[in-house]
Amino acid sequence: MSYKRMLPALAAVLSLSSALPVLAQQADGEITIVLPEQPSNLEPCGSILTDVGQVLNQNITETLTVVDPTDGSVDPKLATEWSQTDELTWRFKLRDGVTFQDGMPFNAEAVKFSLDRMTSKAFTCNNLAKFGDDTLTVTPVDDLTVDIISTKPQPIMPTLISVAMIVAPSTSTTEATNAPIGTGPYTLGEYGQERIVLNRSDSYWGQAPAVAKATYVWRGESSLRAAMVQTGEADLTPTIALQDATDPAMDFAYLNSETTSVRIDLDYPPLDDLRVRKALNLAIDWEGLKTLFGEESLRASQMVVPGINGHNDAVAAWTYDPDQATALLEEARAAGVAVDTEINLVGRNGIYPNGAEAMEAMMAMWQEAGFNIKLTMLDVADWTRYLQKPFPEARGPTLVQIQHDNNKGDAAFTIPIFYHSNGSYATLADPALDGEIDAALAAVQDKRTAGFQAIFSKVHDELAADIPMFHMIGFTRVGPRIDWKPSLATNSEIPLAGIAFK
Amino acid sequence: MLGFIVRRAMQSAVAIIGLLVLVFVLTRLTGDPAALFLPLDSSLEARQEFNRLNGFDRPIYLQFLTYLGDLARFEFGMSLRQNRPAMEVALQAFPHTLQLAVIAISLATFFAVVVGSIAAARPGGLFDRVASLVSLAGASAPDFWVAIVGVMIFAVGLDLLPTSGTGGPLYWIMPIGVLVLRPFGLLVQVVRGTMIGVLSTPYVKTARAKGVSPTVIIFKHGLRNAVLPVITVAGDLAASLVNGAVVVETIFGWPGIGKLMIDAIIQRDFAVVQSTILVTACAIFILNIAIDLAYALLDPRIRRQTT
Amino acid sequence: MSEIIITAAPPAPRFAGLRTTWRYLVRDKFALVAVGFLVLLVLAAIFGPMLIGELATRPGLRQRNLAPFSFAHDWTYFLGADTLGRSIIARLLVGAQNTLGIAFAAVVVATLVGGTLGLIAGYTQRLYGAAILRLADIIMSFPSLLLALIVLYLLGPSVTNLVFVLAFTRIPIYLRTTRAEVMELRQRMFVQAAKSMGAGHLRIVLRHIAPLTIPTLVTIAAIDFAAVILAESALSFLGLGIQPPEFTWGAMVATGRGYLQSAWWISFWPGLLIMLTTLSLNIVASWARTAADPQQRWRLQKLQRSPR
Repeated sequence: MSYKRMLPALAAVLSLSSALPVLAQQADGEITIVLPEQPSNLEPCGSILTDVGQVLNQNITETLTVVDPTDGSVDPKLATEWSQTDELTWRFKLRDGVTFQDGMPFNAEAVKFSLDRMTSKAFTCNNLAKFGDDTLTVTPVDDLTVDIISTKPQPIMPTLISVAMIVAPSTSTTEATNAPIGTGPYTLGEYGQERIVLNRSDSYWGQAPAVAKATYVWRGESSLRAAMVQTGEADLTPTIALQDATDPAMDFAYLNSETTSVRIDLDYPPLDDLRVRKALNLAIDWEGLKTLFGEESLRASQMVVPGINGHNDAVAAWTYDPDQATALLEEARAAGVAVDTEINLVGRNGIYPNGAEAMEAMMAMWQEAGFNIKLTMLDVADWTRYLQKPFPEARGPTLVQIQHDNNKGDAAFTIPIFYHSNGSYATLADPALDGEIDAALAAVQDKRTAGFQAIFSKVHDELAADIPMFHMIGFTRVGPRIDWKPSLATNSEIPLAGIAFK
Repeated sequence: MLGFIVRRAMQSAVAIIGLLVLVFVLTRLTGDPAALFLPLDSSLEARQEFNRLNGFDRPIYLQFLTYLGDLARFEFGMSLRQNRPAMEVALQAFPHTLQLAVIAISLATFFAVVVGSIAAARPGGLFDRVASLVSLAGASAPDFWVAIVGVMIFAVGLDLLPTSGTGGPLYWIMPIGVLVLRPFGLLVQVVRGTMIGVLSTPYVKTARAKGVSPTVIIFKHGLRNAVLPVITVAGDLAASLVNGAVVVETIFGWPGIGKLMIDAIIQRDFAVVQSTILVTACAIFILNIAIDLAYALLDPRIRRQTT
Repeated sequence: MSEIIITAAPPAPRFAGLRTTWRYLVRDKFALVAVGFLVLLVLAAIFGPMLIGELATRPGLRQRNLAPFSFAHDWTYFLGADTLGRSIIARLLVGAQNTLGIAFAAVVVATLVGGTLGLIAGYTQRLYGAAILRLADIIMSFPSLLLALIVLYLLGPSVTNLVFVLAFTRIPIYLRTTRAEVMELRQRMFVQAAKSMGAGHLRIVLRHIAPLTIPTLVTIAAIDFAAVILAESALSFLGLGIQPPEFTWGAMVATGRGYLQSAWWISFWPGLLIMLTTLSLNIVASWARTAADPQQRWRLQKLQRSPR
């Protein structure tokens, strides 16, 4: 609309506005979801990213298996059953009678196509990260059976394969797409800079969901998202800030599978001293700090949430004990440890709600206990230099603010990265621990669980290798029209099929 | 006059190339995009692979030569994030911002001239005091604060306006309202100051003593003299709006170029950063040429130098 | 002959001495209040942190978002506590130092750099002039956000770097204004005369032209001070401004914006101070313009004589 026509319109509307209802009510069967950020793209291969996954996962594209994040169990989706046929091979039976949204049949060839597309490296595929340096080969056995062969043993292949989105064979293999076609209950209706629209698919293999049309919009400000649901402009927002969650009728807290911590750089004194690391853990008023994140958040003793395979309930988190912290620090000083060295606390802007406040508070508490701490808040790209290997040269003793998300049901997505000497976040280099980690990763069932639990216990109690903070909660706001509950998986998916109208 | 435009356009082209070099080199010094595009727990090999795939592993000068080559063929690269041509993304966003900027500056200028003139008629009078205070106060509050308070009051509290988004005329009121505040406040001061200056000159005093009506004095002598400073200030303000009404676009979910730029900058989507800057820089250079032309047309002394 | 020429040069508009200035000021009550507020602010910014500065960083997690106007706590909590339970009064005082310091430094740097470039551009015209103007265009087209990020990344978060970013983006305004002023001045008779008398270019620029541009520049600087504070605040909103644990009023407003519905005071007080400071500066600038302009000074003089 040109501005010349706008002016009189504006004036007219201003004078009338008090008499008019602002917004047309949303039509039956249609909902609007307001996301915190614009989905960067709609490439199914990047669906482990929150912004992409919350639109795509289980809506447009589906996977062979799904993981129930509350207990780590694996459920069937496009695959109905699976078994390990030898050390390197898993055989998956596929669901019969499934078609893609473009009418093509879902079969063994389609699975091979999707996995080959993911592993081809013709374009960047984020989901591949979950497979580490393994290489997968897919061999169709018959129309509805595939063998997935890995180059090294993958005892949790059914869990791993839950990140591989199955896409129609018509999808480009050479470049990323923004027009995904999958087997899910919804098809892509509109993809623009203002909104994304999904429409219910008539040819879905499962039960038809209640929501006929879903519109996604995005607003960066939490208070604005909350306001949109409050005024009825939107029905659902997956995340709002603690301070906006003021209406118990609409706002729900949920464990969001994120765990926060501060990583200790063990390469530099005084942080290479056990007493100093314990003192760091003991000097924080954890109950006080918790007020920044909400009552429902859980004090963490390890980097995975309860329910994940390998979580050790027996490990007790450090408690606030300033006297002992000071005593340990003095003991270390007496033993010749350079406890007065300036320690650089590296935080990241916008890492999680109240993240900067938490760092400021922790800095003050550590200073109170006698540490010489300096806080530096960095932009994401700058912060990742400290997070990932190779670390900056001559960085000196650093503490790094971390948030880690594991909703894939198994500690294998956490332990090697943090504690194995070749893990990308690890500053630990303990050959004995490396051996234990390798053994646990290769093990199955009870032995695997026990192995992971022993590692968490050792890392916490014996090494005090890091400073676990909290298992975080998110808050959602859900409008009065719909019935929906957030879950541990909400960070990675919002299945529209799970939304009902009241 | 034509010679002036051609000369300025050529100078501007050189300047824009300078700007592009600057942006190209500097953005590539701000960290490894792989760290932002790939999941945090991806391996070093995966990150190197990503950089190889996108050509970020080559020396900067080689990357720049490739970029120049592409520019010559009007290819501006692909957005890493959006899997789309970067220039398409930028050009799609730009009209949204342009609309906001044009409407906001027009309204601000119009109301500023009215209010500033009335205020100047009786400096120190009640209207002058109130108008100055109110307009300055409006221009003195952080715009994101005003925007959020506005949403709380008009959308949530009174339910008169939509909270955000784009759509019918109602959707324009708050973004425009927030954008107008600052230019309005400044322009009122400019108009008022210039007018008071003009009205204090001996010849206007004489005219007044002779009984020429105040309206004639204000419009004939005052406004004519206020045009140049108003154009200067309004032009600068318009340039800063074109360069992104970032805050307003961010809060109200307006898919403009400012929001696009900040996202691209933070995510290190280099091709989009370069394309958005190319688009806004062209707009700003054109705007500046237009302002200088207006100057030349309105001020005879400068006309002599430009022709 | 030379004496006539010298008198033909307009006297650099300067204040007629402290006493007269004070009398002009007293006559304009708005300006008086504004000056009083600014003086108080500067004093508070200098001495306040010495007295209760320590409170500004001491968290009290059990009194998060403490409401204002309560006497249950120490007087330092009279305006409430912020998201970490820190005294807002203490933070306002410590924040004043950063806010005013940053804005002042940025404006001074921008005025000096912009003014100098503007002098050169206006006096030499053609080649240098065009080059400098296109430089100004480049600066204007270079998004301050990008500059802020680049500086944050390459040089790290610090107050000095923030000053650099803010100053850089303000340069074009001073540059253009000075240039316009100089272009007009160099046409005037006294400059032509000085030239004909064989004065060197440097001498003409420094002795005859530069002093005459100062009043305009100072007026713009006063108004621009406000713009810089607001720009700094917007950068904080986008996460590219001053970084914790350092803070300014602008950063306080940015942090408090999420609490507008539950704890309005966190962003209100710093916002109010920004507004009052900006307003005061504008009023003082406007008064100074009047007092410095011989054609308008009569307003203040007339008031002086009037019996009210």
